[in-house]
Amino acid sequence: MLKKEQNDYLTQTGPGTPMGNLFRCYWMPVLLSEELPEPDCPPVRVKILSERLIAFRDTEGRLGLIDEFCAHRGPSLWFGRNEECGLRCPYHGWKFDVTGQCVDVPSEPAESGYAKKIKLKSYPLIEKGGVIWTYMGDPEKQPPAPEFEFCSVPLNQTFSSKRLQECNWLQAMEGGIDSSHVSFLHRGDLNNDPLFKGAAGNKYNLGDMKPVFEVVESSGGLLIGARRNAEDDQYYWRITPWVMPCYTGVPPRGDHPLHGHFWVPIDDHNCWAWSYDYHPTRALTDSEVAAMRDGKGVHVKYVPGTYIPLANKTNDYLMDRAAQKAGKTFSGIEGIGMQDASLQESMGPICDRTKENLVGTDNGIIMARHRLLRAAKALAEKGTTPPGVDVEHQKVRQAALLLKRDVQYKDGAKEALIAKKGVRQTSV
Amino acid sequence: MLSESERMASAHELTFRIKDPNSKPRSIAVIALDKASAAIVDQISHEQWRGAHFFTSLSFSTDKQPAEGQSQAMQAWLNDLAGRALNLVAEVEKSDFVVVITAAGEDARAVSVIADACAMFHKSLLGLVIPQDDTSDKDIDISLGHLRPHSRMLVVAHGIDYIEVMLTALRA
Repeated sequence: MLKKEQNDYLTQTGPGTPMGNLFRCYWMPVLLSEELPEPDCPPVRVKILSERLIAFRDTEGRLGLIDEFCAHRGPSLWFGRNEECGLRCPYHGWKFDVTGQCVDVPSEPAESGYAKKIKLKSYPLIEKGGVIWTYMGDPEKQPPAPEFEFCSVPLNQTFSSKRLQECNWLQAMEGGIDSSHVSFLHRGDLNNDPLFKGAAGNKYNLGDMKPVFEVVESSGGLLIGARRNAEDDQYYWRITPWVMPCYTGVPPRGDHPLHGHFWVPIDDHNCWAWSYDYHPTRALTDSEVAAMRDGKGVHVKYVPGTYIPLANKTNDYLMDRAAQKAGKTFSGIEGIGMQDASLQESMGPICDRTKENLVGTDNGIIMARHRLLRAAKALAEKGTTPPGVDVEHQKVRQAALLLKRDVQYKDGAKEALIAKKGVRQTSV
Repeated sequence: MLSESERMASAHELTFRIKDPNSKPRSIAVIALDKASAAIVDQISHEQWRGAHFFTSLSFSTDKQPAEGQSQAMQAWLNDLAGRALNLVAEVEKSDFVVVITAAGEDARAVSVIADACAMFHKSLLGLVIPQDDTSDKDIDISLGHLRPHSRMLVVAHGIDYIEVMLTALRA
């Protein structure tokens, strides 16, 4: 349970809000590289942290993220012409470069210098790992580029997708660190999904439905360990890293690629659920990529031409009561991503946490909220850089392993939890 | 036409969600396992709580006069802030959850007795390990080792403010 003011504090991320200021300390995924595939390609509307922006790749390949609306009379620059190193408003021809600087006001003599006095708000963009990232904070505090492993391996070893999720970012993100729901909601997928099936560890998931949890703070966020009984006086551990404010890693299965998420606020009622898959030491196979594109694993099928899930609230998520009754899926919804999203969206645009009844196994969620509140307050009151900004905090890796029962996971899995170039993941 | 899922998830429909309370008050026993954590429990107990009961130590006694032919039975007692000794089994029975707290590196093996009582009544036991200023990783390992076999959830929490946050979240 949270008090209403705490819930508001955590869920509001617009300009000037404490959590909005926190998010603006980090590089955030904003577009897939495929959305701006080449110089002078069509611009793309972006809404992030309750700000409406337009992204484009100019003639020289430079990326820009600027205020969506023309500084002249306010039409959307989405209608603009992306040409000759700038985005030109089709209304009266005003033109802006990737920094938001106005470079042409056709109705005024070029020599007047009028254009130089017009500048739209802009944010830097960088491209890494097939993802375009933005930083929306104080330019003087811009951190180094993100070093999460999924965006640091060669491009043929990584795959990212995104889907619109129509609810506040926090309830979506909390699903990513709520390890206790997996044994219920996703139980039908472990032996069927091509990106999960066949792993030796699956038998422990399905054989012990009452995992025991351990939550420890890490430099950048949390480590949430879920242990299940295994043979030979061992525990099967699945360890989920959460890096503040919104990155999670799902513990791996066998040699399948590792996957996880970013949960990026669009506004207070919508977010982008980013999903990644990567392998630290090998290229993804054609069949793996085909499965990801087909919406398997943590990815989803789309409404063609969009990043809106094919199963969505307008069609009741394609609920299949027969599959639910037969136990093919636990909730009747197909696919892990939409199993989560359907329930999280049903909580309402912003979940009312004053009414929830948490139990002991929800401590991962309780601790995450606590760390977010603490960090946002420290930033607001003392200017303290929050955890997760330091790229060293981002070099974590999810792990699944068997350990003797008397071995602490933070010791036994210490090396497994560090992302190391060229070193295979630790997985069962 | 809107689907029912689309309609019900709208901001407008939030107005129609039932506002009545959806739970009854619950009782949570918060038990310090050592002297250092007793001071923490004492401090937390001064906040306003609805259903949290705080105990600063655990003690044991044996029956003075066992029934004929029976050996002496061990009894465990929880000592509350008012100085009363309350029967462990009875306190666990009437609790919804049991939270045990230990300062990292202290002897927390008494948790096994509390865990037995929890098992008797199918109550969840939550373990909190609180590192001190001079705590080493080894100290934390020792505490985790004591609590792990018995806890449904184990948390290493830096700072006692987390205990308050957790108890509030659990509606204690």
